[in-house]
Amino acid sequence: MYSNTDTNNKRTLASSTVGGERYEVKRHHGTKYPHLLNFYSVPPTEEITIDEFESFAFDRLQVLKALEGAILRNKSEDDVKKYLEETSNKWLPLHSNESSKAYLVQEERRKDHISHFILRLAYSRTEELRNWFLKYECALFKLRFLRENPTEKQAFLNDENMRWKSLNQAEKKLMKEELNACSIPITTDGEFCDLFEIDFEKVPDLVARRAVYLKEGKAYVPVTQQLSLVMYEFRQRLAKALELASKSFITLRNERIMPMLDEIIKQYDGRTQTSNYSVINNPIADNLVDHFPLCMQHLYQNLCENHHLKHYARIQFNLFLKGIGLTVEESLAFWKKSFSKVDEDKFQRDYAYNIRHNYGVEGKRQDYKPLNCMSLITKHRPNSGEIHGCPFREFSQPNLKAKLVQMGVRNDEHIREILNLAEEEHYQVACTKYFEITKGLLDKNNDSIIIETIEHPNEYLNASVLLEKNRKKMSNKDK
Amino acid sequence: MANFLGESYMDIDDPEVHEDNDVDMIIESSSNKEDDKERNFWKGSTNAKPDKFEIEEGSLELLRVFYKRFFPYKTYCYWLNYSIDPMDKPFQNREFNFVKPGDDEVYMRYLSFDTIEEFKNEVLRVCPKKIDIGAVFTAKPKEKKSLKLSALKPVEKELIFDIDMNDYDEFRTCCSGATICEKCWQLIAVAIKILDSALREDFGFKYLLWVYSGRRGVHCWVCDERARKLSDDERKSIASYLGVIKGGAQQNKKVHLYKNSLHPSLTRAHKIIEEYFERVILEDQEVLKDEREWTKVLECIPDDGVRRRLDDDWRKNSSRHSTEKWDNLLAELESSTKMTKNQKKADSLRVCKIEIMLQYLYPRLDEAVSTKMIHLLKSPFCVHPSTGRVCVPIIPEECENFNPMVVPTISSLYNEINDYDRSHVKNDGERSLHDYEKTSLSPYIKYFDKFVQSILKETLAKNKAAMQMSMEF
Repeated sequence: MYSNTDTNNKRTLASSTVGGERYEVKRHHGTKYPHLLNFYSVPPTEEITIDEFESFAFDRLQVLKALEGAILRNKSEDDVKKYLEETSNKWLPLHSNESSKAYLVQEERRKDHISHFILRLAYSRTEELRNWFLKYECALFKLRFLRENPTEKQAFLNDENMRWKSLNQAEKKLMKEELNACSIPITTDGEFCDLFEIDFEKVPDLVARRAVYLKEGKAYVPVTQQLSLVMYEFRQRLAKALELASKSFITLRNERIMPMLDEIIKQYDGRTQTSNYSVINNPIADNLVDHFPLCMQHLYQNLCENHHLKHYARIQFNLFLKGIGLTVEESLAFWKKSFSKVDEDKFQRDYAYNIRHNYGVEGKRQDYKPLNCMSLITKHRPNSGEIHGCPFREFSQPNLKAKLVQMGVRNDEHIREILNLAEEEHYQVACTKYFEITKGLLDKNNDSIIIETIEHPNEYLNASVLLEKNRKKMSNKDK
Repeated sequence: MANFLGESYMDIDDPEVHEDNDVDMIIESSSNKEDDKERNFWKGSTNAKPDKFEIEEGSLELLRVFYKRFFPYKTYCYWLNYSIDPMDKPFQNREFNFVKPGDDEVYMRYLSFDTIEEFKNEVLRVCPKKIDIGAVFTAKPKEKKSLKLSALKPVEKELIFDIDMNDYDEFRTCCSGATICEKCWQLIAVAIKILDSALREDFGFKYLLWVYSGRRGVHCWVCDERARKLSDDERKSIASYLGVIKGGAQQNKKVHLYKNSLHPSLTRAHKIIEEYFERVILEDQEVLKDEREWTKVLECIPDDGVRRRLDDDWRKNSSRHSTEKWDNLLAELESSTKMTKNQKKADSLRVCKIEIMLQYLYPRLDEAVSTKMIHLLKSPFCVHPSTGRVCVPIIPEECENFNPMVVPTISSLYNEINDYDRSHVKNDGERSLHDYEKTSLSPYIKYFDKFVQSILKETLAKNKAAMQMSMEF
């Protein structure tokens, strides 16, 4: 599988990347890397030094992790772009052909190419790692594709043989009305632009947004929406390649490379450190209700009134309790008490299992993490009759207003401010504002903690508890 | 098999990778949905304690008769095998889930069967009060314990949809909860028509099996090969394409359209809704009847003035019929659209009428059911535990005339067959009838037979073509 070359520091990468298959490196126009963009279908075959191996991998990882941070923080697309630009220039600069005089574009692309393959191998080990890598490599490719100029893009796609069935003028005219109704620009300068006929499976994002015309299983995609097609292709190929790499990983036994790959994986961020979200020592949920964020207050009130919560609301609240620090037994006791109208048998049968499941002591024994704001905002949006999720997103304006008043926000100015933020879809900012208003942080600047943006219900709770503690300390000192 | 890799595709907006990709969680969410407060059919009458046991035994006996004499084993297994004998992977690697009879919900998970006989014998032995169908896996689910976790992966499954009357409760005035009548069935009928046409015309699917869930909902099984092979993400995109009603209990306005253009799929849905809106929503449900009801409609209008004017008017004339009030609303919307100089406002008032109509009659889908390949769904031709009704297929073209109240139950079937056997003496040379043919179950089974035959024919034709192809080479 692996050959020791004469110089100890040199390793060949090709044989360790994809199941032993060897590819010929394509050579276009006399250069190895004619385009900034790369589908990474051909592994590098050259020899590189250990130093390069390490530094390339870490540099690319910096970029992917920066990207993850920006996306998780729900930054706008422009912000993400700007952020990526900065990080890329620092760690993994990549310039288009038009700047080939000012920069060593071939060197840049070589580093991009090799670092992708090292990480692909390192991150092929488990499904979780593969998914992470796939997600952020796709995001990276997408941003680069958007940034590249149209001529270069087209040249790249031609070289990659990405062509789709086009409709002729007569066919286009026939469905003009329907296409217009999908609110997709289909003309450029009054002329019909190219229109492709594609299986609907290949443009899931356009289908999901109802942003494409569908007829009998075919999607009609204008050239302006080409990105969707390219991304589908990129994602499919990389997903397949990662599966393949994971198989070759098992056969890869090398005392030099393995420790390095392990080291790279260790960099995989802190999402695995679940343990302590909490600063609470005495975890009795009822004493803490005043510190709950609005989403959890809402669930808790409902639970008290109806002695019941539906499936996703239960998951949301139970994981929150888990984050506070309730053990599985304490949590079971809490739910048992709250579901007072449910008899013991039914409780055990229908609910206890899931509560334990959340704690990872049933089923596939996954230790579920308390849901963060992004999850609450974007996933499992409530259907009619369900009350879970982020109230700043799921409440209509009048209902949100009523809720705020009920929670003690009485100042009209404050209410309007929160409602506006919610309406403009800045749900987390609205929540942060709510925190500041209800905790009286607006006028006094002397408090020691100020939260940037609430990103997690448990973070809200912890901040609230900490704030109270500090204030008590302060007032004791004053005495 | 194909498309499986698609599973690892992650949406960029989807921060958590692993969450609830777990059957155990999913099964709970589906089983818990049906409210189990009401009395259980198997228990008989709950307040008559002394003979409770006997009645329970009695209805279990009826269920046994049903499985013995009526359940269409052969067609059913051919259906899931997507071919006639011999049984092959699509059937043998298919996950089944039985719920044992009795008060406790005891699940028998990860069942699978090699032959029709084996399936039939196990059904007769267990006499399950519910049968769920899951996905086809890479190996036999019954061998789960001896397999590595990675060896048992879902590969295909019909695309399924679940429409439940539950979701219409916020405005249903004729009934609530588990009850259902001919009036509210019309809500489901319109939903079937819209979804059926979208699946056929937009996605090109042909083999749609609509099944009554036995109480207050319907399921749709899309059986085309292309549908069965969809990855979870592709399923998600379809569910999102078809999902128009968004928002939970705290959101009154649940439909938001883009300003001037209506997607062709929604234009078609709107056309269907126009046919029914007056009769079903205004006359049958009378959604503008009293203040509590009309407030819900008014909250969908994005203009305070319009809302207030209508509200004042209707308070003074609250006895006015819903159809007339609806005309007031349309007139008010139109005049305000003309009056306003704000283009954005005019646009939003213009689409408001369509938004309200969609909110009331566009299908309300349970997305979770459709998006996961491994999701279990109650099988056709099993019996609903609280009503005793058989989950029979519905012909989509005739769904308006379907009456859930007269669907055969296991006790009505029992009586019918006894009556028949008592009054018919078999003449020599007369063809002996199947048991189901002697009862009102007959048209449903015949429809199912025809449906399955049409799929088998296509697979056969495909295989033949493939054979010829390979012969030519």
